[in-house]
Amino acid sequence: MRRFLLRRVAHAAFLLLGVSLLAFFFSALAPGNYLDDLRLNPQMSSERFSALRAQYRVDQPVALRYFSWANALLHGDLGFSFAYNAPVAPLLWPRARNTLLLTTTATLLVWAIALPLGAWSAQHLGKPTDVALTWATSAFLIVPDLALALGLLVLAVRSGWLPTGGMVSVAFDEFSFAHKIRDLASHMVLPVIVLVASALPVLLRHVRAAVAEALDAPFLRAAEGQGIPRRRLLYRYALPAAAHPLIALFGFSLGTLLSGSLLVEVVMSWPGLGPFLLEAILARDVYVVIGGVLFSTLFLVAGNLAADLLLYWADPRIRTEAEAR
Amino acid sequence: MIRSRLPLCIAFLGTLHAVVACAGFFAPYDPVAQDREHPYAPPMRPHFVDAQGAWHLRPFVYPQALRTASFDQYQLDTTTPIPIRFFVRGVPYRVLGLLSSRAHLFGAGGSPLYLLGTDAYGRDIFSRILFGGQVSLLAGLLGAALTLSLGLSIGALAGFTGGWKDEVLMRAAELYLALPWIYLLFAMRAFLPLSVPPLKAFLLVVLVIAAVGWARPARLVRGIVLSVKERDFVRAARGFGASGPYLLRRHILPETSGVVLTQAAILVPQFVLAEMTLSFLGLGVPEPLPSWGNMLSCLQHYNVLVSYWWMYLPAVAMIPFFLGYLTLANLLQRSTGTAKIEEACGGV
Amino acid sequence: MEPLIRVENLVIRHTRQAFGGRASAFTAVDSVSFSISPGATLALVGESGSGKSSLARCLACLQPATSGGIWFEGRDLAALPEEKLRAVRPRLQLIFQDPAASLNPRWTVLRIVAEPLLIEGRSPALEREARAAQLLARVGITAEYLQSQPGELSGGQRQRVAIARALILQPALLILDEVLSALDCSVQAQIANLLVELQRAANLTYLFITHDLRMAAHLAGEIAVMSAGKIVEQGPAGKILRDPRSSQAQSLVQAAAPEAELVEAGSEP
Repeated sequence: MRRFLLRRVAHAAFLLLGVSLLAFFFSALAPGNYLDDLRLNPQMSSERFSALRAQYRVDQPVALRYFSWANALLHGDLGFSFAYNAPVAPLLWPRARNTLLLTTTATLLVWAIALPLGAWSAQHLGKPTDVALTWATSAFLIVPDLALALGLLVLAVRSGWLPTGGMVSVAFDEFSFAHKIRDLASHMVLPVIVLVASALPVLLRHVRAAVAEALDAPFLRAAEGQGIPRRRLLYRYALPAAAHPLIALFGFSLGTLLSGSLLVEVVMSWPGLGPFLLEAILARDVYVVIGGVLFSTLFLVAGNLAADLLLYWADPRIRTEAEAR
Repeated sequence: MIRSRLPLCIAFLGTLHAVVACAGFFAPYDPVAQDREHPYAPPMRPHFVDAQGAWHLRPFVYPQALRTASFDQYQLDTTTPIPIRFFVRGVPYRVLGLLSSRAHLFGAGGSPLYLLGTDAYGRDIFSRILFGGQVSLLAGLLGAALTLSLGLSIGALAGFTGGWKDEVLMRAAELYLALPWIYLLFAMRAFLPLSVPPLKAFLLVVLVIAAVGWARPARLVRGIVLSVKERDFVRAARGFGASGPYLLRRHILPETSGVVLTQAAILVPQFVLAEMTLSFLGLGVPEPLPSWGNMLSCLQHYNVLVSYWWMYLPAVAMIPFFLGYLTLANLLQRSTGTAKIEEACGGV
Repeated sequence: MEPLIRVENLVIRHTRQAFGGRASAFTAVDSVSFSISPGATLALVGESGSGKSSLARCLACLQPATSGGIWFEGRDLAALPEEKLRAVRPRLQLIFQDPAASLNPRWTVLRIVAEPLLIEGRSPALEREARAAQLLARVGITAEYLQSQPGELSGGQRQRVAIARALILQPALLILDEVLSALDCSVQAQIANLLVELQRAANLTYLFITHDLRMAAHLAGEIAVMSAGKIVEQGPAGKILRDPRSSQAQSLVQAAAPEAELVEAGSEP
């Protein structure tokens, strides 16, 4: 167990390190110096400017700069936002939390739908109900997130049933606790629908394929022959057997949802990483961009690590293999 | 079944692309021509029956004029129908940048004919969707071509030579796959110049898109190269004294054609969407050059979103393309048997 | 007479590097030595996993030797760099066990057989195809199959195509790696006869690798019995068949005997 875990954690660390390197050097390669832009800013005093120059060691070689930046990163310092004139980390945290709220909800929901629906579909493989379901989800597949988000927004605006943007109502602070939850939930409905709709078709297809393959396995055919009830067969035998490919999909679904979330947040003005990142790009606020990218990688890597643990717990083959090493 | 559906699907996609490629012929207007008298004009409906209830063989539209003291409310003038004429001479254009012509499929003489309405500057949405399709689809196609050649070369290099090169390249691919792809797209775009002329911006977008997507095709190609390299017929050719490039060109790369084609069918719509996303957010192709993405960006304004539903139409325009490409990808996946390979390489 | 090929203390060790794990090595071929005179046939007999195929691939220069020497026509192949090897390769050819795998399934028969000439790059396309067709006719593939793909042929026909391809560069040595074992009994006999015929006509030297002692004795004058990477017994074919010394050879003889009796019993009435 320790060994397996250590290997996975080391891999995660490698990914984070790699992404940080990639992001930093890309930013260093960028034409023009962001501090040069800053010099033109009348709000920036010349002392502040030279302090920043010293802090970011603009005159030093890139490698040295990376090390000082990475060192600060390890102490929780993500650099400085020029646009906000403030450290990046405290700016990033609340937005990351909002993105996480959206993404996690959508992830849970999409799996909660895809698992039973996919398993059901796999049982009725090729029957009209299965075909109808496949067609219905394909419809979601051909309508891209952007079109869906905008379309739902138009509907919401016209019908007035749901709030059409933001995360909470203006008077949120005055609400009671239950009211707050209700308010937040109603704001989440639209973005979560778009996210779920964007990730569901692919996920459903994979769940269906994995369960169908498991159901077709000889040991399950044998179990069926012994008269074990279908329902028990499906949930006690087929789903665990299909766990491996499914859990491997978990990381993928998280990545899709994070990506989708970025766009949806901008369209629905959800105060998450998406709009923040976009704003930072337009303002050439480099450390915010790097911070945002690192955050998204951290989410994804953490999600994959969780999937690995789940896999370890669910699949005895991995366990024995890991222990044998 | 697959054999018969594949040509059908290709014909469908081919037709769609041909229409977009010949946008100048099908579009009655120049995409950047403005008509300040008709901002936000709603779509004109072609009629066959006039106000008196009489039938006409030739479809016609009613002209609309701005109501006095309004900037977006139009009045329909049912007394003077404008007949739609086919195969007319109109504004000059070039087909695929080469052939210059003035022939248009339809037009209404000098009178305005906005089948899908106009935008804030009175530009014809129908024409802009067609011309915008050129930009968006070209970005997708070029991006896919670039990313596939990149993926193919990297995958072949990694799989064929093995050793430390393989290790380094595949670790790099892992890094690219570890990032949510829109974040990666953003990050790449973030460090490139922002305000640039349209053509340069377009090329930047294509480059960024291509640079983001190489990892998955590279991994798929590498997997195939690794397995084909160990097949006996490749060994046999080596036994005749064949060189590495020969083996790659004649024996190994042909085996990757199935995966490359399937990946192309998957990547093109994804990259069209990437272009749209970037342009929608103002990071891609700038005005006045139309692209499906930057045409939609006006919907970020609340009043446009609520008041002018036809501004949403560019989002609908891509749906048939997506349908075509996804069907194609599915059919290719089944007929070339690449679904299994892709699953084995972990992903979609 | 100077032997065509002389193998001395050949060792092939495979190392397997598991992802993130330790490398594990096992010895597939363990200090093997033998030699074959021009025009002769040596049969290498052993059970599966005894290192025969590793040896075959190594002799065909498709896999490096860990140590030892392979002297072929006066040169040590094990020490030759890749560029120089390319010149030697046409002189010794390997034919694989499964012709379905060793022929590119996308190519036509004619193109497959002409391929070595294409790689050699000396003759124009027309001449290449003419020679390929000629050779195909000699191994019994008629003109109607020239444009077929390997998938459309029977197993025996495919192996004939593979033989034709191996012969087109006029090699001195053919390494036949279980070339008969993927075929039906009756087809085996046909191909075996073809091999004998070709050997006589072109004075070919064969290294015949098999697990079938009967077939080995039928084709080869001399037999080497291989087990766990080592040659445990070597001698004239008749002697080994009659009087096997090592336990491995004895078990091979026993394994071959009842089957042979069955075939004989079946063919008698």
